[in-house]
Amino acid sequence: MNHKHKKSARNYTGRSEMANMTAKERVMKFLNGEKVDRPPIFSGMGNVIKPVLDKNNIIFSRVHRDPELMAKAAAGMYREFGYECAVVPFDFGVEAEALGAKMNYYDEVEGLLYPTVKEKSVISIDDVKIPADLKNAGRIPVVTGAIKALRRELGNDVAIGTYILGPFTLAGQVKELDALFEDSFLEPEKTGKLLEKLSGFIIDVFKIYQEAGADYFTLREMGGTSDVMSPKSFKSLIKPHLVRIISEMPRPSILHICGDTNAIIGDMADCGADAVSVDHKNCMAETRQKLGDKAIILGNFDPIKVLHKGAPSDVGPAVLDALKGGASAVWPGCDLWPEVSRENMDAFMKALTNV
Amino acid sequence: MKVVQIAGYLGSGKTTLVIALSRKVAEAGMKVAILVNDIGSVPVDGRVMEEYGMTVKDIGGGCICCQVAGTMMKTLETLARGTKPDVVIIEPTGIAVPESIRQTVMLNAAKTGAVLGPTIVLFDTTRTEKLLTYDTLKRLVNTQIRDADIIALSKIDLSSAEAAEYAEKAVREMNQTAKIIRLSTVTGEGLSVLADRIQEVTVQV
Repeated sequence: MNHKHKKSARNYTGRSEMANMTAKERVMKFLNGEKVDRPPIFSGMGNVIKPVLDKNNIIFSRVHRDPELMAKAAAGMYREFGYECAVVPFDFGVEAEALGAKMNYYDEVEGLLYPTVKEKSVISIDDVKIPADLKNAGRIPVVTGAIKALRRELGNDVAIGTYILGPFTLAGQVKELDALFEDSFLEPEKTGKLLEKLSGFIIDVFKIYQEAGADYFTLREMGGTSDVMSPKSFKSLIKPHLVRIISEMPRPSILHICGDTNAIIGDMADCGADAVSVDHKNCMAETRQKLGDKAIILGNFDPIKVLHKGAPSDVGPAVLDALKGGASAVWPGCDLWPEVSRENMDAFMKALTNV
Repeated sequence: MKVVQIAGYLGSGKTTLVIALSRKVAEAGMKVAILVNDIGSVPVDGRVMEEYGMTVKDIGGGCICCQVAGTMMKTLETLARGTKPDVVIIEPTGIAVPESIRQTVMLNAAKTGAVLGPTIVLFDTTRTEKLLTYDTLKRLVNTQIRDADIIALSKIDLSSAEAAEYAEKAVREMNQTAKIIRLSTVTGEGLSVLADRIQEVTVQV
């Protein structure tokens, strides 16, 4: 057990020790469907917040390119608040960049902007060049470096999570969206081949992250949301690739799709992940009813409305609503917005630690 | 500070309209700020911006919306504290859901003093058939049209009278209450109407 991090944990009473269960044990047992003393307080999405960045003098635009800074920012969630995981990376461009897309990190922008793809690299499937040395492609070594640094810094007590975009969402990061949507209708087999190639890449990157020491793995297929794709298109175009990825990626696995997902929740569950994650647009009670008692369902508070904009006194009741609705553990519907206040994070932790 | 949204599917002419409308509103004496998802795509040079007193801000996001909400709120706060524009025109990505943008603006309204202007959704009349029949497009297009206060039938100069009529009938079926206008940023048709509506209309939430 690593004692270094326990000493620096601010206001964290070490309930884990009291229950004889480390944060990691709680997360991993939970995801494996075993009994735990209470739902773990964790997520598989990006968790980088200003109270942690400010304390460590980390500039937001730099945290995405430096493994040590990335690890420090992720570890701060446990050290400062007792959040029972550390998740890297924080943005949606890692895989696209490894495939040749050019990123904008907004170094010159005052304020806070997540990196975005500024130049896409793919017109046809032939343009998808999987790097021979994948471990060192783009920022993949930044993420693996951060995972290793987290293990070194936090020992084996805290679960380390990582995520990768799903194949359709990734396709939208490397290819112009208009063309992707049109091709998907006119020539679905062409898009199918693109997604198949990207799926193989995603599986390989997940394995690299596992080898680096990650404990659990979230596949984030935001582009599959029913806000954008019809349930019929999701089922025929995207689902087969999610099934394949999930069957070959490391476990425990979580499939996250944001937005309106009630119409596809059955198909999401059929993809075979150990857990599904949904956002605040999903009716949790309906999802629980459809998937049954045994399904591990994660969700579904609004990280902006509740955790960022809510008053500290509103945070507890709002996040507990997710559990009342049927969530197995409380997850944000998306990344935590970095400007969440220290007071609201404390209120969030207090509400869920006392469940 | 009135916040107006110009939404619509990819390629419907949003950026061109944002620029044209910003000039028109600025010419009417209002201070304008523009929030876009890709600043590189906005062909407004510094001289024009200075002449019209415009501010252009990048809210990032690329094709993915969930990391944009916070940035948008923060940018609105900064504008409310700083340049204090009369009108903020937001151009979200082509796959954004207008209602989500509206909710994000209102989340911070107490702090920014923002009121909602009309949500203008563009519908490309040269692509009616595609937009309404492709299974991979029609759901999103339908959602965007449904959320509109004003539907602008865009590229009307490139469409025949029959095609314009067909597009108008189709969007009316999706949204029975929105005002529908015909728009061409080439001939200027519809621009003045839109500029007037931006100044006149405040949407109650």
